[in-house]
Amino acid sequence: MRLWRAVLLVNLALALGVLLGYVAWGRPAAQLERDLVAARRETGAWGQERTWDVRGVVRAVLPDSGVIVVTHDEIPGYMPAMTMGFRVHEPQLYQGLDIGVPVRFTLKGVPPNVLVTAIVRLDGAPQ
Amino acid sequence: MTPELPVRLVHLAATLALVGLFTAWILAGRSRCPTARAWDRQVATLMRWVLGLVVLSALAVLALRAGLATGRPGAALEPAAWWALLTGSQFGTVWLLRLGLMLLLGALVLLAEREEGAADWIALRGEGAALAAVGAGALAWAGHAAAVEPGGGWALAADALHVAAAGAWFGSLGPLALLLRRAAAPSGADARPVAVLAVRRFSALALALMTVVPLTGLYNAWVHVGGVAPLIGTTYGWLISVKVLLLAGIAALAVHNRRRLLPALSGDGPTVGRPAMTRLARFMAWEAGLALLVLVATAALGLTPPARHVSPWWPFSFRFSYETMADVPGVGLRLLVGSQVAVLGLVAAVAGALVRSARWPLVGLGALSVAGGLWVALPPLAVDAYPTTYLRSTVPYHAVSIAHGRTLYLAHCVACHGLGGRGDGPAAVGLPRPPADLTAPHTNQHTAGDLYWWLTHGIPRGGMPGFGDRLTAEDRWDLINFLRALAAGEQARALALVEPGRPWLVAPDASFAVGPTAERSLKSFREQFMVLLVLFTLPASRERLVELAEAYSVLQGLGAEVLAVPTDADPRILGRLGARPPILFPVATEGAADLVTAYALLARALTPDSLRALAAPPGHAEFLIDRQGYVRGRFLPGGGLPSWRDPRTLLDQVRSLAREAPTVPAPDEHVH
Repeated sequence: MRLWRAVLLVNLALALGVLLGYVAWGRPAAQLERDLVAARRETGAWGQERTWDVRGVVRAVLPDSGVIVVTHDEIPGYMPAMTMGFRVHEPQLYQGLDIGVPVRFTLKGVPPNVLVTAIVRLDGAPQ
Repeated sequence: MTPELPVRLVHLAATLALVGLFTAWILAGRSRCPTARAWDRQVATLMRWVLGLVVLSALAVLALRAGLATGRPGAALEPAAWWALLTGSQFGTVWLLRLGLMLLLGALVLLAEREEGAADWIALRGEGAALAAVGAGALAWAGHAAAVEPGGGWALAADALHVAAAGAWFGSLGPLALLLRRAAAPSGADARPVAVLAVRRFSALALALMTVVPLTGLYNAWVHVGGVAPLIGTTYGWLISVKVLLLAGIAALAVHNRRRLLPALSGDGPTVGRPAMTRLARFMAWEAGLALLVLVATAALGLTPPARHVSPWWPFSFRFSYETMADVPGVGLRLLVGSQVAVLGLVAAVAGALVRSARWPLVGLGALSVAGGLWVALPPLAVDAYPTTYLRSTVPYHAVSIAHGRTLYLAHCVACHGLGGRGDGPAAVGLPRPPADLTAPHTNQHTAGDLYWWLTHGIPRGGMPGFGDRLTAEDRWDLINFLRALAAGEQARALALVEPGRPWLVAPDASFAVGPTAERSLKSFREQFMVLLVLFTLPASRERLVELAEAYSVLQGLGAEVLAVPTDADPRILGRLGARPPILFPVATEGAADLVTAYALLARALTPDSLRALAAPPGHAEFLIDRQGYVRGRFLPGGGLPSWRDPRTLLDQVRSLAREAPTVPAPDEHVH
C-alpha cells in the first residue's frame, strides 16, 4: 500500500475513534448530567411526605394561630437557613417555650404543608 | 536538585526537537539531489532516536510522578502505581494521549522508507508535523496552565501554542544547520540551492514565530506572575527573566543571520556563498544551544510554584509608588515632563535603529534622553521598601483577627503609640523620633508587608523595638489587621449617607451565629444581599429595633438583610428583646464580642472624645454594607445626620444601593 493511503486511513481511524469515543462516553455523560438534575428536582421536596430534624432558636410564639417562629438551619431540599413561622401540631408542644430558647424540632409533611410534630429544648431546662 | 529537572529537560527538548525535525523536513522541500537525499535519511534516523528519547523520558517522568504521588520513591517502578496515575489523573490522561501519538509517529517514521511520490511526501511530513505539534502542545494540559481558574481555556490555548511554536522554531535550527554544513562541503554543491531555499523559508517562518512565541509567553507570564513585584521577587519570576534574556540573545543572533548572512548565501560560491553558509550553520547551532538553555529554565519553571501563588521577596531598598503624587506637590509635573522626554528618546532611538544615515548619533541621543527623562521622573516616586514589602497576609481581615490585634496593641504598643494610635502615648516622650501616627492617611500608603517588616525588625533609628521574637507571625498579621481597621476608621469618621458609586471602606469580615444554628459570615452575604449591621444596647436601642422590625419585610424586599449585634455580647439577648412587637431579624448570639470590637473602630465620630479610639464601644451604631462588601452608610446617634433615624431615609439609602450596577467585590488583602 502507498504511504499516503496508510496515513489517510490512520487519520480516518483517528476521526472515527474520536467520534465513537464521543458517542460512547460524551453523550451518556451529558445525559447522566441531565438525569442528575432531574433526579435532584424530583427528590427535592415536592410531592411526597418527608421528615426533617432541624436546629433553631425560638423567636416568637403565636398561640392564636398555633405558630412558632424560629430562626433555623438549612432544611435540606426544602429551604435555606432563615427565620420562619411553622404551624405546630398541638398546643402542648410550645407550652412554656420562651423567646430565645434553643430547640431541635421535627418537621413533617408534604411541602409546603408541614407541621412541627416534636420540639426538644437544647438548653437543658425541663420541658 | 531533584532528578525531575534533568528528566523533564530531556523530555521537553526531545518533544520540541521532534516538531522541529518535521518542520525542517517540510522547509527543505522535495529534492532528488544526492546530498539532500542523504540529509533526508539523516533526519529520518535522527527522528527515530529523538522519538525513542521522547518515549523513554516520558516513561521516566511518569515513574518519578508515580513516586511523588504515592509518597514512596519505590513506587516509581511499580506497574500498579503507574496504572493508577495513568487512569486516575489528568496528567495520566494527557500522558496516555501523548504516548499514543508517539506510537503513531513511530509507525509513520518506520514507514518513511516506503515513501514514493509527491503524495507520500506531503502525507508523511504533514501528518508527522501535525502529530508532533499536538503532542508538544498537549504538554500544556499537564502543566501549570491546567490549574488556572478562571479563564483556564485561554491559558491552555496560549501555552499549547507557545510550546508548539517554540518547537517549530528551536527544533528546526539543528537539522537546518546540518543541511547547511552538508551543502557548504566541497561535495555538496548539488544541495546548495535546496539549502538556500530552506533557510530563506525558515527565515520567513521564524519571523512569524518570533512574534507568536514572545506574545503567548507574555500572556502566560501575565497569567502566572501578574505584576512587577512577583517578577522580581520570586524564583518563578527570575526564571522568566532568564528566559527573556536568553531569547533576546537568540533574537540578536537571528537578526544578524537574516541581515548579513542570508543575502550573502547567494553570493559567489567559493569566496562568499560557502563561507557564509558555514558561518550561518555555526550561528544556528549557537542559537540552538541558547534555545537549550531556555529549555533548562522552562523545565525549572514547570517545577516551581507560579509567582502569583508565592509571596515575593523584594530585593531593593526602594520601590516606586504613584501614591507619592497625592502627597508631595510638583511630583505630578516632574513625572509628566520626565516621562514625555523618555518617550521621545525611545522614539528617537527606535527611529535611529531603523534608518541608515546618522544612526549612532540618533540612537545615542535617544538613549541619553531616555536616561534623563527617567532621572527626572522616577526619584520623587521612590519610597522605602523592605524584603517583605510585597508579602501577602496569611490572616484574613476578620473581626476575630482585629480583636486579637487590639489586645496585642494594648499589651505592646499603647505605651508609645497611645490609646488613639496617634503616637502620643506616655512613653513616647524622650524617644529619638516621635512614634508614627498610626491613624494618619499615610498609614494606608505603606503596604501590609512594610508594616510586617517594622513589626518584626523594629525601626532602630526611631527607637521602635522589633517583635519578631516575641510575637508569632500570625500575631503580627493580627496587629496589622487591627491597624488597618484603626486607620480606616479614622478616615470613616465623617461617613454618614451613601455616596452613590463611591465604595472605599472595606467591611471587615465577621462570623456569627443565631442560637444553635450554623455559623455564618458577613462575607457569605456578598453578591446576594446588602447587610444593615446594627450594634445595639438594651434598653436604649429597643425603640430603634422595633422601627427596624417594622421595616424589615420592606428591607428584605429590597435585598437587604438586617443583622443585629448586642454590644454586651449577651448570649441570652433574644429573651431580653421582648415578645411584642416581635423582632424577627437575625440577632447574633455567638461571635458578637469580636464583631463589636472590630466595628467599634469604624464607629468613631468627629467629636474630640472619639480620638481615644480604644475607649468603650458605642451604645448604638448602624452600618449599611453593600453587596460587594463595602461599608457605604453609617448612622451614629448623636453624631452624623439625624435623618438616618427616619425609616424612610434608611429605605431611600438601601434603594440607591440596590440601583447601583454590580462592581468587583471588596479585596481581601491590604492592597495598593
